Amino acid sequence: MSDETIDRTRLPIRRPPFSGVAEQTLGGSRPDWAQIGHVKPPEGSPNVLVVLIDDAGFGNPGAFGGPIDTPNYDRIADQGLRYNRFHVTAMCSPTRAALLTGRNHHAVGMGGIPEASSGFPGYSAMLPKDAAPFPKVLKENGYSTAAIGKWHLTPEKEQGPAGPFDHWPNAWGFDYYWGFLAPEASQFDTMIAENQKFVGVQEGKDGEPFYFPEAMTDQAIDWLHGVRGHDSEKPWMLYYSTGCSHSPHHVSKEWSDKYKGRFDQGWDKLRGETFERQKKLGVVPTDAILTPRDESMPAWDSLDENRRRVCARQMEVYAGYSENADHHVGRLLDSIEAMGELDNTIVVWIWGDNGASLEGTPSGTFNEGTMLNGLPLTDQEQLQLTLKWGGLEAWGTEMMYPHYSSAWAWAGNTPFAWGKQVASHLGGTRNPLVVRYPQRITDNGGLRSQFTHVSDIGPTILEMVEIPQPMHVDGIEQQPMTGASFADSLADANASEHHTQQYFENFGNRAMYKEGWWLAMRMPRIPWRLDPDVLKHFAPGVWKPDEDPVELYYLPDDFSQATDLSASHPEKVKELQSLFWEEAEKYHVKPLLAGFAGFFGILPPIGTITTNTYHGVVQNIAPGAVPRIYNHSYTISADLHIPDDGAEGVIVAEASHLGGFSLFVQDGKLKHTYAFLGVFEYRQESRNELPAGDVNVQMIFKADEAKPATPGEVTLLVNGEPVGGGRMDHTVPFIFSGYAGMDVGLDNGLVVDRSYAEKAPFAFTGTVQKVVFDVAPHLDDQDEHAMHEHASQSDIARGISG
Amino acid sequence: MSDDKKDVLIAAYLFEDLAKRDFDAVLKLAEDKAITVEGVVLVQKDTHGEVHVTETGDHLGRKGLKIGGGAGLVVGLFAPPLLAATAVGAAAGGVMAKFAKHRVESGIAEKMDDALPPGSGGVIAIYDSGGADAVDKALPNAVKKSVAQIDGMSANELKAGLAEAQAGMGG
Repeated sequence: MSDETIDRTRLPIRRPPFSGVAEQTLGGSRPDWAQIGHVKPPEGSPNVLVVLIDDAGFGNPGAFGGPIDTPNYDRIADQGLRYNRFHVTAMCSPTRAALLTGRNHHAVGMGGIPEASSGFPGYSAMLPKDAAPFPKVLKENGYSTAAIGKWHLTPEKEQGPAGPFDHWPNAWGFDYYWGFLAPEASQFDTMIAENQKFVGVQEGKDGEPFYFPEAMTDQAIDWLHGVRGHDSEKPWMLYYSTGCSHSPHHVSKEWSDKYKGRFDQGWDKLRGETFERQKKLGVVPTDAILTPRDESMPAWDSLDENRRRVCARQMEVYAGYSENADHHVGRLLDSIEAMGELDNTIVVWIWGDNGASLEGTPSGTFNEGTMLNGLPLTDQEQLQLTLKWGGLEAWGTEMMYPHYSSAWAWAGNTPFAWGKQVASHLGGTRNPLVVRYPQRITDNGGLRSQFTHVSDIGPTILEMVEIPQPMHVDGIEQQPMTGASFADSLADANASEHHTQQYFENFGNRAMYKEGWWLAMRMPRIPWRLDPDVLKHFAPGVWKPDEDPVELYYLPDDFSQATDLSASHPEKVKELQSLFWEEAEKYHVKPLLAGFAGFFGILPPIGTITTNTYHGVVQNIAPGAVPRIYNHSYTISADLHIPDDGAEGVIVAEASHLGGFSLFVQDGKLKHTYAFLGVFEYRQESRNELPAGDVNVQMIFKADEAKPATPGEVTLLVNGEPVGGGRMDHTVPFIFSGYAGMDVGLDNGLVVDRSYAEKAPFAFTGTVQKVVFDVAPHLDDQDEHAMHEHASQSDIARGISG
Repeated sequence: MSDDKKDVLIAAYLFEDLAKRDFDAVLKLAEDKAITVEGVVLVQKDTHGEVHVTETGDHLGRKGLKIGGGAGLVVGLFAPPLLAATAVGAAAGGVMAKFAKHRVESGIAEKMDDALPPGSGGVIAIYDSGGADAVDKALPNAVKKSVAQIDGMSANELKAGLAEAQAGMGG
């Protein structure tokens, strides 16, 4: 069916009326072959490729004057257009939701992050059924659709075999999905989900180690080849979303060493160099002013030699990691070209779902998990722990979960101030966009400066493929897309601006844009601070948002937000403040900080389940679904069968040496290792070897008290008898890992205790019959509430890095 | 021995050249007689955990690759098996055992074993405890410092054992 008369405003498209003849028997009957046909898109519909890079800034890629070599981004920009006033939200999931739905992020429930579904419509993380994503629209109109790579749009509590699956990628309109659902992932032992199932850590190809950017590209190419092999005409839509350049910054030395010495001048000078290149390229006007460094970030010259060298290496790794992502997008583009389809493909490539991430703290960190857990480490301790896990040689390898200094991120957002999370400023919200589509673009390598927003992508693509925005989908009336198509700007550099007004809001930082004016309303909180001392200023009844300091900019004359006009234009400040609240009302932005509600004691209902039972070998339990063992007493009990000649291997393990625990058998003994974020390791073991036959083993952690990071005593028991134990002076308060899962019967991916790394995944050689977690022994109601509150906060802390 | 108590210090480094810089600074202190040093050793621990002695210095601040006396004491307390490769030969198991025993009994082993992670550089020095402040200031590039103590008598005994073993090896 590709008839002009098809009503595409109601999806799914109904089957056509039967136009044949059906008699009592085949005699005299005439089939209508349209009954077994499929909906087809309008004649000549092109393919669509949307590429999204993670956690990167306006001043990162070479194509926008940055220091990172991006030959493929350059290629697409030179064969297409650069958009230098393109905007995203300042956070991961909100940008992704706006991108795919063509609507404001709060309007589709994604004002916050899926780790912290909140009881307010703008923050539920539950895609409403009245906001069909544009890939679903394409699919229902006859496209093949796939999403490959990072997802981060599924509520964490739904990430398991029990679902529900309404918010997994398939339900967003993708025929096929392969990637990871979490906010971030190790690039070397990524816990992969395929369609509606976790398939876990994968092997590399040809005996080489697994590397996610390579593997996801292979998957994307395989999918394209499969579609084309099956149907020579059907157009496709591919959403290719990299884990790069999000922490952990994982890349081989081959890539990072290309940048050796290229950042020794430091972030202050790098910023100036980038700015000059940007002006030369034309992506920044020549009269723009470079904004100054905020005092929360150190001057490069203030660092001692150790820190300068370590910081320089941090950026070398980030740059190599980013260039590697560009390389793999290039492979994908090459394969599309080899299929003869590149010129019939609309390529939309966004470099960064938000500005570069400031979450590494000023020193940078060997393990971003320390920041997520609110563990304050001094610069010296960061150096010591870097040393502990292999020094700079290991920065970029799986041995660390590294994130560079916040000052590098700031430099990556040149020429703007701030970065990720800071929705009030362009450092968090203005990112590079390039578009290639030779059938419309005639001035290859041209520049477009219309104000555009990530929610415009869906409407633009639909207009270009001549498919209307549907009024009804699955019987549900749709909220209109709020993005505005900029399709006319492809052919016309002087096309008028259609997106004239836009609010911005993430975690309380906000801005209101209207016809060139930008009111910046930044909360006085820096992005790496989530501690009570800071948050108390934003508590209900304390925080008065309109009393936050404001800055006013007129962007047509002030590209970088360098000249604050708020003092001279108080009436404009007032107008935009009011307009923000109108928009907030309309799109469910209120109440501000709903995504932080857990920090202020506003909690989802307490779950009633306090035991988790795993029968047999269970693998790839998502981080958010791991039993809540934090901050209170708990017990792990396992029923095992030990053969006569003994057994070894892992009974149950979560995450890695950078945060996690493992209960295992080694040298015949029961052992427990608790990795406190790569800072301390606590080990206990049984005095004697385990007996053969059916055996029950237990690990009892008795917390000193139910409180965050509580110390406590571990007791190991075999068949009910204490056999060993020891004290743990620190425990992880929030979460072991942002991405690594739990396994019963083995330790997939990076292991918890390096003593069995050579035998990884160290599968148990006896039989694990059952493992039971009891997460609420001895808790009274008050403790239970306190721990529930803390757990809610931990979800936010984890997700905020996404 | 001018002081009964000796500090055994391991300073760990991310960068080999910075370790060398601090090593030279400690030797200068010895040469200037600002501190009383038994010996100083510059080492590198490779990624497999194997320790390599790069340079040694004696109580007068002289550099040299011959490991005996104070430098031998340093090496022996840090890693007794290294003595076999650097000072006394594989046959002198007795003296190595003495060092190993002392490390465990004095608690030095516990402090020292993790002080130098694989892939790091190190400056190891034994000096009179009174010089601790001066040594500390001479090591600005160290990422981590671990200090244990040994009494002068034990140090003398170990050195004597070492000298004996070396003599045996030579003759």
